[in-house]
Amino acid sequence: MAEIESVGRVLGTDHSTPLAFWVAVGEHQHLQLDDLVAVDRVLPTGEIISIYGVVAKVRARHEGATFDSDVFLIADGVLPAVVSEAAEIQVTRVAPETFVPPLPGAPVRRVVGEERDEALDMTEVERKLPAGLTRESSQPMMLDLDFLDGTKGAHVNISGISGVATKTSYATFLLYSLFNSGVLGAAAANTKALIFNVKGEDLLFLDRPNNRLDEDQRALYGVLGLEARPFRSIGILAPPRRGDPNGTPHTGARTTGVGPLYWTVAQFCRLRLLPFLFADAEDERQQYTIVVHAVTDQLERCARTTPAGDGAVRVAGRTARTFDQLVDVVCDQLQPEDPEEGPDPRWSGRSVTTGTINAFVRRLSSARRHVDHLIRADLADAETHAIDLDSQQVTVVDLHLLHDRAKRFVVGVVLRQAFESKEESGTAEPLQFVVLDELNKYAPRSSSSPIKEILLDVAERGRSLGIILIGAQQTASEVERRIVSNSAVRVVGRLDTAEAGREQYGFLPSAQRQRSTILKPGAMFVSQPRLPVPVLIEFPFPAWATRTAEAGPDSASSGSADPLPDPFAGLT
Amino acid sequence: MRFSVETWAPEYGASVNWPSIEETDDEVDVEVEKRISDWAPIDSPPPTIPEEIVFIDGIQRIDARIWIHHEGLSTPAVCASLAAGATICRPGQALIEDVKVCRVLIAPASSPASPIKTRHAVYEFAPAADATPEATYRAIHDRRHHMETRVAAAIRSDLIVFDGPLRGRNHHNAVGYVKTHHRFYLTDGLKPVLGDLGDGQRTPLFLIGGGPGGGRWSWYLRLPGPRAHPFAGIVRLELPGVGTADEAVARVGLVGSCLPRFASEPHRESRSPQNLYPIAGLERQLRQRLGDQVFLDRELRIMAAGGTM
Repeated sequence: MAEIESVGRVLGTDHSTPLAFWVAVGEHQHLQLDDLVAVDRVLPTGEIISIYGVVAKVRARHEGATFDSDVFLIADGVLPAVVSEAAEIQVTRVAPETFVPPLPGAPVRRVVGEERDEALDMTEVERKLPAGLTRESSQPMMLDLDFLDGTKGAHVNISGISGVATKTSYATFLLYSLFNSGVLGAAAANTKALIFNVKGEDLLFLDRPNNRLDEDQRALYGVLGLEARPFRSIGILAPPRRGDPNGTPHTGARTTGVGPLYWTVAQFCRLRLLPFLFADAEDERQQYTIVVHAVTDQLERCARTTPAGDGAVRVAGRTARTFDQLVDVVCDQLQPEDPEEGPDPRWSGRSVTTGTINAFVRRLSSARRHVDHLIRADLADAETHAIDLDSQQVTVVDLHLLHDRAKRFVVGVVLRQAFESKEESGTAEPLQFVVLDELNKYAPRSSSSPIKEILLDVAERGRSLGIILIGAQQTASEVERRIVSNSAVRVVGRLDTAEAGREQYGFLPSAQRQRSTILKPGAMFVSQPRLPVPVLIEFPFPAWATRTAEAGPDSASSGSADPLPDPFAGLT
Repeated sequence: MRFSVETWAPEYGASVNWPSIEETDDEVDVEVEKRISDWAPIDSPPPTIPEEIVFIDGIQRIDARIWIHHEGLSTPAVCASLAAGATICRPGQALIEDVKVCRVLIAPASSPASPIKTRHAVYEFAPAADATPEATYRAIHDRRHHMETRVAAAIRSDLIVFDGPLRGRNHHNAVGYVKTHHRFYLTDGLKPVLGDLGDGQRTPLFLIGGGPGGGRWSWYLRLPGPRAHPFAGIVRLELPGVGTADEAVARVGLVGSCLPRFASEPHRESRSPQNLYPIAGLERQLRQRLGDQVFLDRELRIMAAGGTM
């Protein structure tokens, strides 16, 4: 191996330990944050131990100055002093594993070329997923797929402030890399992803090329061994437009290739979806949950015994074709018009007080205006309608126009469908990825709900079932601990200063925590089990459009631009 | 050579007043620039920033006091570390260069002393006239003086300021800078002029004859700074006694315009303003280069006990 110039020497005025040490930077040399370095230690036995690390801190100071104001004298050429530069190294790997400190005075070299894999412990990794480019050298940074696909670990958790942290962009980039890097092999074709689009229209144009992608960014994809293309197989599900008798999906700018997202009343009853309307239906302190379960049982019974055939359900002799009708008939069972009569105990559950029933009715009625367009049997295709998560590689469920309650309902129900179909299939392959932002809303640290239970199921059993959660949230401190701790790969974008100090980010060394508050969009700290130190990466600008203005011509329609919406449509 | 190390810390043996090295029997001619009757403070030319000015200084430290044993007799000796170096000041940059360090064993020339080698240092034998503290100090001082001269020899500069009297360093670019006054060269009648000096002002030139190195031009200069007493901030400067008085006066002007800029302030320097910043910084660095005294002392004890390297 050619002699590599040393960048400095291990210094002896600070402790040098097997996990961290300081390097005095040599003259005409420099080290910056995130640089990879290596130092060797020869043991008395003759064995050579290579210690690899990443620069975590750099500092420069005047040696020979006593007072702060000495700097003026030094700059004037009056007081002699030397500038000393030093860098703190966080050890990433010791090979072979003999944990001895590097010795003061030992020359430190920059890690380049093939030695990078050694330093990042990637030499024995068989399946490498390109996860971005290291900031300091624009070299590919790889993730060990074993820790993502369930072999040794699973799940990704991304934290960061909205808007700046680019959490969703990174999640989609990871998906793109999974599908297109070849790391999944032949299984890539059947691997599915389910993305919940919780805000904005960012994810509705995944299949359109991004016309703002310049050549430089395109080249970055090349460095990662990827082609800069949009996603190929996309299905979009969006809730029906309110008041539209045809149930046209309501998505805003995206008009083509969107399927309606709704459940028929019969499905609602048969699949026992009622609890998903209640945020705290699993909370045992709540009395009204008895009513929720009793009503759910009754609705399921009705759906099985008295289906109306066209997606509607007959309950107590009345046909419920819309959610409104369903709510009315349920309320009538619980609160008969004749006050003497009392509620039907099959519907209310036993020994339930009027107050509890009122609590249930109040909650159910308040859900009415948020979900009535999602649960209905008044559309033409109601009889055969089903939510289809399998016919496209990526299914985007658009929630951004829904109220929080409706969002929770949809997320819970869709997740359960995905989870159950995975359970039934009995094999982990092909994998099902789920991208969900705002985890703090769906799996909050305190309180319990049906959605949280499902997410916990995914987090804890998904690894063996082949359902992998790529979760994101602004603040990991507000998310159920078990969900975050089950994620093998943790990613941190720009954090709020107060948030960065919380224990949930204990995996970031203090200097990185501090830096996380100034990260720019497109830069993330990625922590993976193989490396004790998170690595700062940058990922290329999306090759797919993230809003209408960026959307280039539809690749499927070979160059022809989208037809402009007719401004006079609907006028007669 | 058998020896043992004094168990008392080296400072305890130093309770001798170091004698003045400055010669006191020189002849002084105070009328080379002005008549006695015309003696009055003279303004220095306006301050300038020299392209290059070099300050040279050395330091010494006694690492250990030892006893050399020979044929039943024990002779006291001293192990000392010395360092000398230069600060080269240019506009915007002050660099320390040419640092030399040496360690010496000072013992009477008549003693059977030989160099002491420890694991990390070698104390070369430097003979002194006898075992008295004065002779020991003289030997150390001579060594240091020699080192400073060697440092200066390697430097090409128009203005080299030595910390201390010139003592024979008569190169044309040399300036002696004396901040400790063991003797005043002026008669009592002229001394009030010193008190009258304003910041940056100097006395007329006088010629000191005889002494080592022959004559030298000399004058007093007041550095800027707070004035606690009439002689505060007064330094004496020396130029080699060559050339005419007029040539010397021109050189004096140059020195006077350059030096005040380097005067130190009380909160930074315990010997302000006379201990100039470049010299103070150099001394700090030299002290650093002497190494850790406790460490060296221990090495000497190991060797005294018959240890091996």
